[in-house]
Amino acid sequence: MADQTQDKAVQTTGHAWDGDLQEFNNPLPTWWLWTFYATIVFAAIYWIMYPAWPVGTSYTKGLATTTYQDKDGNEVTTGWNTRAELIRDMQSGASALKQKAYLEKVSAASYEEIAADPDMTAFTQSMAKVLFADNCAGCHGTGGAPALIGNYPNLRDDDWLWGGSIERIQETLVHGRLGYMPPFKGVLDETQTRQLASYVLSLSGNSVDAADAQAGKALFESETAGCYYCHTKDATGLYSQGAANLTDQIWTVADVPGATTDEQKLKRVEQIITAGVQRVMPGWSDRLSEDEIKLLTVYVHGLGGGQ
Amino acid sequence: MAQGAVAVDTQYDYDIVKKFAIAALFWGVLGMTAGTYIAAELAFPFLNFDMAEISFGRLRPGHTSMVIFGFGGNALFATSYYVVQRTSQARLWNGGLANFTFWGWQAALAIGVIGYLNGITDGKEYAEFPWYVDILIAVVWVAYFLVFVQTLRRRSQPHIYVANWFYLAFILATAILHIFRNLAVPVGLFHPESYSVYAGVQDAMVQWWYGHNAVGFFLTAAFLGMMYYFVPKQAGRPIYSYRLSIIHFWALSFMYMWVGGHHLHWTALPDWTSSLAAAFSIMLLMPSWGGMINGIMTLSGAWEKLRTDPIMLFLITALSFYGMSTFEGPMMSLKSVNALSHYTDWTVGHVHSGALGWVAMISFGSFYHLIPRLWDTRMWSTSLIYVHFWLATIGIVLYIAAMWVSGIGQGLMLRAFDDYGNLAYTFIETVQFMHWPLVVRMLGGMFFVSGILVMCFNVAMTIRAAKQEQAALQGAMAAKVARAGA
Repeated sequence: MADQTQDKAVQTTGHAWDGDLQEFNNPLPTWWLWTFYATIVFAAIYWIMYPAWPVGTSYTKGLATTTYQDKDGNEVTTGWNTRAELIRDMQSGASALKQKAYLEKVSAASYEEIAADPDMTAFTQSMAKVLFADNCAGCHGTGGAPALIGNYPNLRDDDWLWGGSIERIQETLVHGRLGYMPPFKGVLDETQTRQLASYVLSLSGNSVDAADAQAGKALFESETAGCYYCHTKDATGLYSQGAANLTDQIWTVADVPGATTDEQKLKRVEQIITAGVQRVMPGWSDRLSEDEIKLLTVYVHGLGGGQ
Repeated sequence: MAQGAVAVDTQYDYDIVKKFAIAALFWGVLGMTAGTYIAAELAFPFLNFDMAEISFGRLRPGHTSMVIFGFGGNALFATSYYVVQRTSQARLWNGGLANFTFWGWQAALAIGVIGYLNGITDGKEYAEFPWYVDILIAVVWVAYFLVFVQTLRRRSQPHIYVANWFYLAFILATAILHIFRNLAVPVGLFHPESYSVYAGVQDAMVQWWYGHNAVGFFLTAAFLGMMYYFVPKQAGRPIYSYRLSIIHFWALSFMYMWVGGHHLHWTALPDWTSSLAAAFSIMLLMPSWGGMINGIMTLSGAWEKLRTDPIMLFLITALSFYGMSTFEGPMMSLKSVNALSHYTDWTVGHVHSGALGWVAMISFGSFYHLIPRLWDTRMWSTSLIYVHFWLATIGIVLYIAAMWVSGIGQGLMLRAFDDYGNLAYTFIETVQFMHWPLVVRMLGGMFFVSGILVMCFNVAMTIRAAKQEQAALQGAMAAKVARAGA
C-alpha cells in the first residue's frame, strides 16, 4: 500500500547523488507525528508537575508536593523532591512501619526475652543477616567463617579471642578490638624461636622434637619471651588481652591446619613469633545504631558457640 | 574494467578509506576480545590472575575505547570519507591532512590504551584518555573537520546529501563535547594526571552531558549518516522521506543535548535538572525513530531482498535494534524505572543492544557493501556473510537477554522486603544470583567475536583475490600492448 503511494503519487525531490541516490518526498507518517506531539504534551505536563526549569538562581518547583514529618514531629509539606520522598518513605512506607514496630519491641526487650520469643528471634535473624552481610562479611565472610585462617577470626567455631558471652560480644561491636602480639625478631634468636614454636605446637598434640619443646616451655614461662603474661602459664589464653588459647585445635592466626609437613607447621608458627600480630576490628557505635548492634550481638552469639 | 578502476582511483581517494576500514576491523577484534575477556572475568573472577594490567578496572576502559573510538571511530572516518566523496563527486581535499587524521587517530588510541593497562586514566567514563592524548585527539579532530568540510565545498551540485548532515553534526558536536569534558589543568608537563576544571556535582553533570551525547552524536547521529548512504545504495531505492529526514535530524540534534542528566537520577544532582532531562528523553523517542522509519521504509517494495541479500539483513537488523534500544532508553530515563534499572546490568544490556545491535551491525553491513567496491571486486564468500550475520545476531540476543535477567533480577532483589519489613536479600546474594546470566553474557560475547573474526577472514580473502585479479589483468594488458607494439 505504502509502496504504491510512493511509486505513483509521491515524487522524488528531483536531486540525485552518486548516480542513483534519490529521495522520495513522502509526508511524515501520521502516527509518527501524533506520537511525537503526545510526547511533547507528556513533557509539558511533567514540567508543570515537577521541578524542571531554572529561573534565575532558583527553579520552577512544580505542582506536586510531598508531605512528611520533621524531627519535631510536625507535618511538613514541600514541593516534590527526591529527599523529601525518601524521608516520607522511611516514615510511612509499609515495610518501614513493619520494621519499626518490631524494632521498638526488640529495643525494649532484654537479651533473654528476645531469645525466649520466637517472633522476635526470627525478626532478629532476618534483619541481622543483612546487617552482618553489609557490614561484617567483608572481613568475617558471608557466613561468619573467612576462607583463610590468619587475617580475620572465624565466628562460627566456639573459640573466642575476646570472649563469647553476650556482654563481651556487644563490647567488641561497640568499641572494636585491637589484637596485638609484639614481634620477637631480635628478642629471640633462630634456635629459641624454633624451640618456642615446638612447644606451642606440642600444646595441641602435634608431634615435635621433645628436647626443643622442653626448652620452648622454659622460654614461654621466662621473662625473656614473657609469653605467659598474655597466654597464661597453662597457655589457655586470656580474653582481656585477646590472647589465643594455644591448647586447643583451633588456630586463629597461624594456618597450621593448612600445613602439610611438620617442618611447614613449625615455619608457620615461627613466622608469627618473629613478626608478631596486629589486627584491628573497628568500633561500630558511630556507624550502627544501638538497636542494630543489639541485633548483631544476638546474631553473632548464635553463629557459633556463644557462651 | 581495469580502466574503470583507474578512473575511479583518480577521481576519489580510496587509499585513505581502505586504511581506515582495515583499522576499524583491527581495533574491532581487539576491543571485542577485550570485552569478552572482562565479561569472563565478571563471571569467573580468578581470570584476572592477580595481574593489575588485565584486571577488570584497567581492561574495561580499554574495551570501551577500542570499540567506540577504535572500531566505531575508524568505521566513521572510513565511511564518511567515502560517502562525502561519492555524494559530492569530488576527490577528498588535502590527502596529506587526511593521512594525518589516520595516523594521529591510531596513535591516540594506541597511546591511550597502553596507558590504561599501566593505570593511566582520567577516570571519566568514555573520556578516560589523559590530557596529552586529549590534545592529540583535538588536533586530529580539527583536521578531520577541515578535510570533510573542504571536500563538501567541492561538491558538484548545490544540495548536500542527508548522510553528510549527520556526519557534520557528529563532527561538530564531538568537538564541543570532547573539548569541554576534557578541560583540565595538568599536574605537570611530565605527569599524566590532571585536575578537571569542574568540581563535585557539576563535574558529574558535565560528565554525563558528555557521556550521553557521545552516545547521541558519536554512536547515533554519525551511524545514521552511514545508514542514510548505505541502506538506499544497497536497496537500490530512494530514501523514503526527505521531509522526515529534515524533521528528525533537527529534532534529534536539538533534543539530545539536554538529556545527559537522566544518568544522574536520585543523586546529588538537583531534582529540576534530572526532571528536565527525563522529559527531553521522552521527547527524543520519535526523533530517534524517524531514522529507523526512514531506513526501513526505504526497503518497502523490495522486501524480497531480505531473502537474498545478507547485507540487507545486517542493515535492517541494525535498524530494528536501533528502534528497540531508542524505545528502551526513554523508558529507563523515567525516574521510577531508573530507580530499578540504575546501577544494574540492565544499563549494560541497554548500551550493548545499541552498541552491538545498532552500531556494529550497521557498520558490518556497510563494510560488506564498501569493501568490494574499494578493491574493485566482490566479496570472497557470500555464505560467510550469512555465517557472520547469524553468529552476531545470536550473540546479541544472548547478551541482551542475559543482561535483562541479571539487571532486572538484581534490581528487584535489592528492593524486596520480607514479612518483617527487612531487606529480603543481602547485596552479596544479588551478586551470586547474577553468576549464570553473566556466564550467558560471556557466551554471547564469544559468538559476537567469532562473527567479526569470520568477517576479517572473508575480507582478507577478498583483498587477496582482488590483488590476484588485478595482477592477472595487468599481465594481460601488458601482453596486449606488447603485441600491438610488435
